[in-house]
Amino acid sequence: MARITLENITKKYREKAALIDLSLDVADNEFFVLFGPAGAGKTTLLKTIAGIEFPQEGRVKIDGRVVNLVEPMYRNVSMVFENYALYPHMNVYDNIASPMRSRLYRKDEAHIREQVTRVTKMLRIDELLDRKPNQLSNGQRQRVAIGRCLVRSPNVFLMDEPLAHLDAKLRHFMRGELKEMQSAFNTTTIYVTHDYMETMSLADRIAVLDEGRIRQLGTSLEMYYTPSDEFVARLFGEPEINIFDGELEEKEGVLTLRALGQEEPLPLEEDVAAALRAAGRGKVHVGLRGGDVSFRFSEEPGWIRGSVYTNEPIGNKVIMVVDVRGTQIYLVAPNDTQTEIDRPVWIGLNMKNAIFFEAESGQYIVRHDAEGVCRKRGKTWPS
Amino acid sequence: MHTQMEWKETSVRKSQALSAVASLARNLGLTLYALFALFPLVWMVICSLKTDAEMYNTVFRFTPTLSNYNAVLLGTDYFNAFFQNLIVAGGAVVLTIVAGVPAAYALARYDFKKKEDLAFQILSFKFAPEILVILPIFTIFQKIGLYDTYFGLIWVYQLITMPLVIWVVRGYFEEISVEIEQAAQLDGYKWFDVFFKILVPLIKPGLVASALLAFIFAWNSFTFPLVLSGFKIQTMTITSLRYIASDTVHYGQVAVAALVAVSPEILACLFIQKHLVRGLSFGAVKG
Repeated sequence: MARITLENITKKYREKAALIDLSLDVADNEFFVLFGPAGAGKTTLLKTIAGIEFPQEGRVKIDGRVVNLVEPMYRNVSMVFENYALYPHMNVYDNIASPMRSRLYRKDEAHIREQVTRVTKMLRIDELLDRKPNQLSNGQRQRVAIGRCLVRSPNVFLMDEPLAHLDAKLRHFMRGELKEMQSAFNTTTIYVTHDYMETMSLADRIAVLDEGRIRQLGTSLEMYYTPSDEFVARLFGEPEINIFDGELEEKEGVLTLRALGQEEPLPLEEDVAAALRAAGRGKVHVGLRGGDVSFRFSEEPGWIRGSVYTNEPIGNKVIMVVDVRGTQIYLVAPNDTQTEIDRPVWIGLNMKNAIFFEAESGQYIVRHDAEGVCRKRGKTWPS
Repeated sequence: MHTQMEWKETSVRKSQALSAVASLARNLGLTLYALFALFPLVWMVICSLKTDAEMYNTVFRFTPTLSNYNAVLLGTDYFNAFFQNLIVAGGAVVLTIVAGVPAAYALARYDFKKKEDLAFQILSFKFAPEILVILPIFTIFQKIGLYDTYFGLIWVYQLITMPLVIWVVRGYFEEISVEIEQAAQLDGYKWFDVFFKILVPLIKPGLVASALLAFIFAWNSFTFPLVLSGFKIQTMTITSLRYIASDTVHYGQVAVAALVAVSPEILACLFIQKHLVRGLSFGAVKG
């Protein structure tokens, strides 16, 4: 129910900077995900919005109003803390009811009962209302913390890894519930996670954070298909994207790529070739997702020979690692694939989906039909 | 199948018998310890009921008398000393809580220069023997008019009570994660409400236990009231000396005085026993 704007936020703990000149604009009713590795500043950013950490520089705005000097209780935000921060001396019911019993947001007991029943049913903790937090498992505590957050209708929900301690099945279920609820309630949500699946399924928009700065801002499709650099590319997708060296070769007016020690050069799409020519570099890094690498156990013309390094079944698919002259290529194989280690294997690269990065800086250069893939509807992930 | 059932039954019976023996042994041990621990108290009660003449009888036979009680409680102003002691020790503990809990909070939460030095300085008040500092305090108190006043004693008792409460309660505050306070703020509680609704219940065991100990130390203090008061204010510890006359010691009267003196401590301990056990063992507030 509010738009959150951060302008040039810098936050330091002693000498160490947690956020550096960071600006962000989260639209009203948006489900915004902050994604990044540990120590990137995600939690600090949430706490800055909540008002429990104060930035040294920059402005925090809620609905256009500067709230730098507004105490946290008056900001009307609600937050799930990573370590739950439940009140140990209160039972589950009182914990969840707590925001509606404070002087500022007081509601009558009938309303409280109704609301607590609603969220505890949804979170499947309605059996535990009389328990104290120390009688709960971590997953249950986390759900109580989510309940305490969702029971109100604040300006913004701030969620710090709210699903991290749930088991896989429940996490999947809760992911759906959160998304459903967010669209039903029309409430701005800022969500911190380091799970890329959560990020991609929930987010309207994503900010990838690293060392206190935003690396990339965009939709999940943009993150996946046109990452701003190798760092972002590696964060999204399982198995991790393959990034290997490539050398551009101009022959008779046609630009081709030599990679993985092959004699035969790989063909390039026209738009890609044009952009690479414009960038004017001989050496590039090529990023290719595991789903864009095919394999055969018999020789194919134009395919690259390697040997099986590992073969790891993970349920619905098999992750195979192929060694090509010292470079390891991850690929996704059907889940009935069985092979022994060191068996010769031929791999084919779908260069249409290759992403090209600058060799030195790792910055994104180009991919084929970038606009087209990012406009794609329906999230069907190749891997 | 049948034998299995039988085997199960015998094993159940066996383990039941075993646990019965274990609980018997445990109770026996505890009873023995209780006798050992309570004996001085019982002895004191017996002494208080004897006349001075029967005091040295080793035989456990005497005619109980209330003459000692009569002499101490009605014959002297012992009750007066009791209440004065209560004011001084109680006042000292109240002041310690009012000033010490915020100090403990500050030491636990805020980061400031020389924090650890300050905390250690507070603890070090307990290091020096009272007799070592009593003389300068005496001269100072004489000069500034605090000699023989309630406030003077309450103030100087802070040396005994404050370090204890600050250090125990600080540990409790440190155990409470900052995020709990922050969560309460986001829930719409002002700092004052956060403190009383969230923090105080969580530090209560430690606060109660350390306050009780502080009270006992203040109640039993001898050196400070001996030197820093005398005419208007007399605490029990000083008054009790009166029953040791120069020619004879009235053991019966001493026993009565001692019984009265320990009674508030015993009562307080019984009332807050629950907190006392939990209170001084840390880690009680883990969420």
